[in-house]
Parts: sequence; structure tokens; C-alpha cells
Amino acid sequence: MLQDVLQSKCALFADGVQTVLRGQENRSRRVVIMKGNLVQNARSESKGVSARVNRDGKFGFASVAEYTPEAAEKVIKAATDNALLLGRHSDSKTALPASFGTGTIPLYGQIVDVEQKLIIELCRTIDDHIAKTYPDLASRTVVYTEDSLDKIIYTSDAFNGHIVSPRCYVYVMMSAETKDGVPVEMFKALGGSGSFYDHFTNPETLYPQIEELYKRLMDKKEGVYAEAGYKTVVLGGMMGGMLAHEAVGHTVEADLVRGGSVAGPNLGKRVASDLVTMVDFAHTYDGKPADLPVYLDDEGTKAEDAVLIKDGILVGYMNDRESAAEYGMTPVGNARGWNFSDEPLIRMRNTCILPGKNTVEELIASVDDGYYLIDSGNGQADLTGEFMFGVTCGYEIKNGKLGRALLDTTVSGVAFDMLKTVDMASDKVEWSGSGFCGKKQPMAVSMGGPHLRCKIMIGGR
Amino acid sequence: MSEIRAIADSFDAILQSKNVDKYTYTLVQSEKQELNIEGTSFKLMRTVFNNFGSLKVFHGARMGSVSGNDISEEGLAKLADDGIAAAESAEEDPCHDFAPDQGKEVFRQGVYEPDMDRFFERTKEFLDAVEKEYPKIRIMMGGASFDRSHWISRNTNGTEFEDFSGQYEFMVEFSAVDGERTTGMNGCGFCTKDLDTPFIDMCDVRKQLEDTQNSLDTKSVEGKFEGTVIMTPSCVTQFLYMLMSNYIGNNVIIDGTSQWLDKVGEKVADEKLTVALKPFDERIVVGERGTQDGFRTEDVTIFDHGVLKTHMLNLYASNKTGRPMIKNTGSDVVVEPGDSALEDIIASVDHGLLMGSFSGGQPGTNGEFSGVAKNSFLIENGKVTDAVMETMVNGNLGSIFADIRAISKEQLCDGASVVPYIAFNGIVISGK
Repeated sequence: MLQDVLQSKCALFADGVQTVLRGQENRSRRVVIMKGNLVQNARSESKGVSARVNRDGKFGFASVAEYTPEAAEKVIKAATDNALLLGRHSDSKTALPASFGTGTIPLYGQIVDVEQKLIIELCRTIDDHIAKTYPDLASRTVVYTEDSLDKIIYTSDAFNGHIVSPRCYVYVMMSAETKDGVPVEMFKALGGSGSFYDHFTNPETLYPQIEELYKRLMDKKEGVYAEAGYKTVVLGGMMGGMLAHEAVGHTVEADLVRGGSVAGPNLGKRVASDLVTMVDFAHTYDGKPADLPVYLDDEGTKAEDAVLIKDGILVGYMNDRESAAEYGMTPVGNARGWNFSDEPLIRMRNTCILPGKNTVEELIASVDDGYYLIDSGNGQADLTGEFMFGVTCGYEIKNGKLGRALLDTTVSGVAFDMLKTVDMASDKVEWSGSGFCGKKQPMAVSMGGPHLRCKIMIGGR
Repeated sequence: MSEIRAIADSFDAILQSKNVDKYTYTLVQSEKQELNIEGTSFKLMRTVFNNFGSLKVFHGARMGSVSGNDISEEGLAKLADDGIAAAESAEEDPCHDFAPDQGKEVFRQGVYEPDMDRFFERTKEFLDAVEKEYPKIRIMMGGASFDRSHWISRNTNGTEFEDFSGQYEFMVEFSAVDGERTTGMNGCGFCTKDLDTPFIDMCDVRKQLEDTQNSLDTKSVEGKFEGTVIMTPSCVTQFLYMLMSNYIGNNVIIDGTSQWLDKVGEKVADEKLTVALKPFDERIVVGERGTQDGFRTEDVTIFDHGVLKTHMLNLYASNKTGRPMIKNTGSDVVVEPGDSALEDIIASVDHGLLMGSFSGGQPGTNGEFSGVAKNSFLIENGKVTDAVMETMVNGNLGSIFADIRAISKEQLCDGASVVPYIAFNGIVISGK
């Protein structure tokens, strides 16, 4: 983990500007076994230091691929020069945002490295198990992926701290052929926040989930295309999480609000049924650590939860310090950068629709003719709230009972219209913390949600 | 950024001192100067000095791959140790290898010494033009950056490539806003080696701004029909990459799930379609010069009048499957133009879509795609009419490329690809 070499350089922070100095190391580990072949066996580490200077609302940023006191000096000077350069090209001046406290955030957690040999052995054990147990698969791939962030942050007028964020996952991908010889696929991510030893000391604990994946793939092999149209559906928790992140979350990021998102004119208005409350959690959910805990952001803001929708009413945005000042809100730690060389942008953390009171069984039993959509491969959304999710696992619902499996399909809608159709929510939240969100830079994000009954557009053939 | 050759000499010495007798590596020094835009003003100036080193170590038939950005003497020694450990941990697989001796060559591409003052002026001129000519456009995020890199790649078979390259890149994402009405997000961008042309007149920048401003009033398609979809060049590029990944890429050939596993030499697409990877085309500003396997990159034709000329396999996939490889990693796409003007293609369509981008999942290996038509307009009776919303498109990748109605004479060149408009038949279009 990083040792602090930056503290002494805080003396170089200039008066009358806001400065953040950040040292950072990103690590990744990746092993891929495809149909029994070790096709990727890779380790990567990148480290450096950056500074950001806000002078009259003009930001200068600079980074160097060295983590040394000399590099810190160099980036503070270069960032200051960049802010001055922008100032010379603009007459406008914006007041510096207010400080919301100073202090030091303690270190939570640690990064524990693991030998590549153990990772390969893990993947080989899982692959051998799949090959032996499920010989009828057309193909199989086992991927181990680990990424971790280690940051030391010093600020001129906010919180300082040392934060770490490790996570590791095994992705299991399987494909089978339909009776017509057409391939169908399914995958599952197993793992979570923390290091190898937190999740993978005994591969056998993963086998029940792999068995479930296989059974669903066998159902999908006999699957049918969904009937296109506007349907009543039960969205699984993973789909609920995707809805929270893609369809709503992006529209309430304050930089996108500034860019014209539909959330701008809807603040304080009803955007969902009163069953919907949505929160971007900082680090704790239901008394336990969230999937990707964030205690301090890259502007030195102490992280707290951001309540976005309360009982169906849009009540807030996610902000950085500048946008919070602009919208009269309080920043709660959403400004994050992925690499040492990335400037912080407004990003989600653990974004979630809160649970309701029904059971999943009650939701399914309540649908006469519709679909149960369990898992999604990806999703995208627009400033208007128009969204699309790929559906990789789903079933028909006929007369309150599950029917045939579905082949891959897509659902779409407009978030603030669709959320008003939510009329039942299950009592448990499912989380997924394996994803990356793309917005100029990648960012590790977590999303969660309960099962939701609603109406949605589904694509058929 | 001049000492990289000396760093490489030092890295060779480190690897040899550790008795590594088979390896290949690339060392990169890069610099970025980026002007961030928000609204119609400059927001942030970003300078990035970065390094990168990647190394593959071979221990008999075992291979380990490591990378990092510390290319100091200490950092390279650690990279070498990590590479050795990764190789020793790996399983034997003789299919991992790199190219035989390709000789020594120095490449120079694009522009290495920027005119940053002129770049600032061109960017400011663009922002002023948008404010004056497209008042409803709201720029959400944008960046004007100059990027340059100096890299060296060596391996123990004797190859040494050195490259000096640089380019200006410009990208903006925007919407149109009028009161409480807002459009979806759109964007455009290009890379260039000169600053001769105002940015607003580059590529399809004006058209994207105009289309977005004309999308404030939208309509949803009624019902469901099978029709013709004319894809814009950027949308064609999106579909071409999905097609190549799903039908002829490394993974689907290695695991045998490709629908075109044994189709090389056969006609799989419409005869109007010719697609090549052309990093040496003069319209490509900075093309690939050396592959990740250590080969000198070559231009490669993928489809010639609809005939599949090759899978897109790297050396490992080629060794694993016994099928031919290509000396190209897969970028720098050039699609040959057709013989119809875009205007005439539109006039020939009774009921269809002009689709600017596709928001959908990566299709499975069966090629079935389903998603939302974004930045798209209805075509009715040969005319482009309303912008559409909540409109889905679905079909099969292999089938639509086999049923091309027309390819436009006009090609769009953004400095990284050269692509025309293509009209596809057989796409199902459905509304709410």
C-alpha cells in the first residue's frame, strides 16, 4: 500500500485557491481460461501523483507518473499554471465553493496481494469442475479479475485521508446450443469487495451458484423470443439496480443536469410512484459495509448518503463541490477519478432503490400475462431518461406462474414515466458491485434494488 | 521524451541479468494536454505525463504478461521479476509466442510538435459558433486534446520498432434544450494532424448539431414493421465492430461458437460490402504500426464484395486453431463507398429509419440484436420527417449484412475510420 510522501508538500498550497493533492496506485490482476486454455495471465500496476487547483472557477489539473515528493511539487506548479492559463482566456470569475469541514478520515480496510499462481489454480479448479460436471456445454470461460484503488488525499480546505478500495470477482460464462444449433450464453459474477482471501479460499462454496447458472442456461436453450410490446413485468433485483443506476442515477448527476437532463425541471416534483425511494449510499447499507464503500472523495469531501428520490418525489442530485454551490445543495462525496491522471467527475457509488413490503412470490403470482426479467448484461440511458437494458435471463409469467425461459431481449422506457408504473416492490435488495460505469473515465460502481412490478417496453423478434 | 532508447537498453540488461532468454516488451512515454469544455466556456486545463511498460516473459512454453507505469530502473527490475513470476506460475501452452524477426524500423505519424495557441483559438472559435448559430445546443462535456507518444518495442527475435506520433483530438457531447423540453445526448468528434479547418466544419459536426436541434419534438413509431434502416457512418462502425467481434474475432473462433467458423472464402455478406483495416491509408491520422504479437502491421481486407477473406485472429488464436492469422489488431476501418447519393437512398425508402446510434447490449454469438434507436429520424415516403423516441430496432447481424439495400457515395472520415452510410433491409422497428 502507498506510504505517505505528500504531506510535506501541503506547504506549497497557495492562498486564495483550492488545491487537492492526490497520490494513487491502481492495480489489476486478470486470468482467463477459455475452454480449458489459459489465454490470459496478466498483472498490472500504475502509480502517480496529481494536483487540481481551482482559481476563480477555472480548474488546472496536472499529473506525473511518479509517486515522489518531487513529482508532487511539479504537479502543484503545473496545475497552478494551467488554472492561470485558463483565467487568461476568460473574463468570468466564479466564487470558490464553501468548505464543509476539515479533518482526517481514518483508513478503512487494506489491500492484500495474492500470488498469480493461486489465481491460476483457482480458475483451473473451477474450470475443471465445470468441464467434468457439465460436459454438454458448447463452451465455457472462467475469468478472474481484481482491481484496487489506493489513494492518499491532501486538500487546502477540506478533509484529508488515506483510502483503499479493493474488489475481486470470478466471472463464469457458459454457452450451449439450441436444437437448431444456435448458441445461447449466460454469465455470472461471483465475489465482491475485498481481496482474494475474502472470497475464494474454498472454490466449492461457489459451486451452488454455478449449478444455478447452468440450470438457467439449460432453460434458455429451450427458450422463446419475448413478444414485443408494452408489458407488465417483474424486474429482478439486478434489473432494479440497473434501473437505479442507468435510468435514474445518470440523470441526477449534477453535471448532466447542467447539460440539460430531464431531472433539471423535475426537482421537487413527482417522478415515480410513492413506493420508490432511491439513495446513493456512501459506505454503509442496512448497518453493514456497502459493496463499494466510499469514505472520502477526491475533492476531500467526507462521504455521506445522497437521497435522490423520496416516496416518489425527486429531492436531490449527486454533486461535486462546485455544482452543490450552484444548486444550493450539500456535497456528499461523489467526485471521484479512476486513475491518478484522471480529474474527479461526479460519479455514483452504491446506488439503490429501497425495498418494499411484498415477497417475490407475491409479485410473480400477481401477474396474469407478462415476464419475469432476472438479469441484465448491460444498460444505457440518456439525458431524457430514455433507457435500455439488455436482458440475459428471464421467464414468461402466465397466470401467476413462471413459464418458458426467454432468449436474449432488451427492455426500454423513459425512467420518470416507467417509475410511476411501479405498484409492488419486494422486501429484499439484491446488490451487484462488479460493474464499471463509463463516463469519460471508467469507475467501479455498485447498484442494487428489490424486485419491482411495473410496465415496460420489451423488444421481441 | 527522448531517453526511451536508453531506458530500453537498460531494460534489456536487467532481463538478461535475470537470465530471461525469451521476452518481448513495449515502453511508452506519453503526454496529453487537454482543454475541458462545459457549456460554451473552458472549464479545466489538464496536463498528463505518463509512462507505460508491458512485458511478456516466456519460461519454456509458459508465458506471463505484466504491465505498469514505473519505467525507472527500480520499476523495470520489479516488472521483470513480476513477469518471471507470472511465467513460472503459468501452465505450459506452446501456442503463446511472438513474431519472428521483423527487422528494425522507425515510424513517424501525425504531428509531434503542436501549435497550442492555434488549437486554443480553433476551440474558442467553435464555442462562439455554437453559441451564435445553434442557440438551443447545450454542451454537456467536451475536450480538445493534443496527445503524443514515443514508444519502442523490442523482442529477443531481433525486432525493434520505434514510433513518434501525435494528433489533435476534439470531442463534444451535447443536447438541445428549449424551456423544459430536452433532447437525448448526441456527440461528435474527430482527430486531425492540422488545424487548417474550423472545427465546426470538420467531419459531420454541423450535421450532428443541426440534427440535435431538430430533435426537440419527437414521435414514437406506431406499431411494429419490418423496414429499411439507413445507418449513419458512426452507427455503421458500431455494427461492424459487433459483427467482427461476434463472427470472426479470436474468442468465438477459439471456442468454436462462431456462425462463420468455416466460411472463409465464401460469400457471407452482400456483394456491395467491401471492408478493410487500413492503418496505412493517408486519411488515417495515426494508424497501428506494430501488432501486439510483434508483427509489422499490414493492411488487411476482411470482406471483398461480400466474400469473407479472413477471420481476425492473433498469433495465439492462429496457433491454437491452426487457422491463418492477420498482422493487424483490428482498428482503422475503411468501408468502400457505394454508387448512390445519400439523398437518393433516402428518397427510395417508403417507411424506415435514419439511425444515428444504437443503444443496446452486445449481441450474443447468435447475432441477434435488440435495442433502442437513438439520434434517429423517421423516413416516410422518401423524406426524413420526425425525430423518434421510444423506438426499438431488432434483427440479426449476419442477416442484415447479407441484405444491404444501398451504400452511399459519401464517406465520413474522422481521422480514425472512413465509413459511408449503409441502408439495411430486414430490421424490425417497433414503437410503444
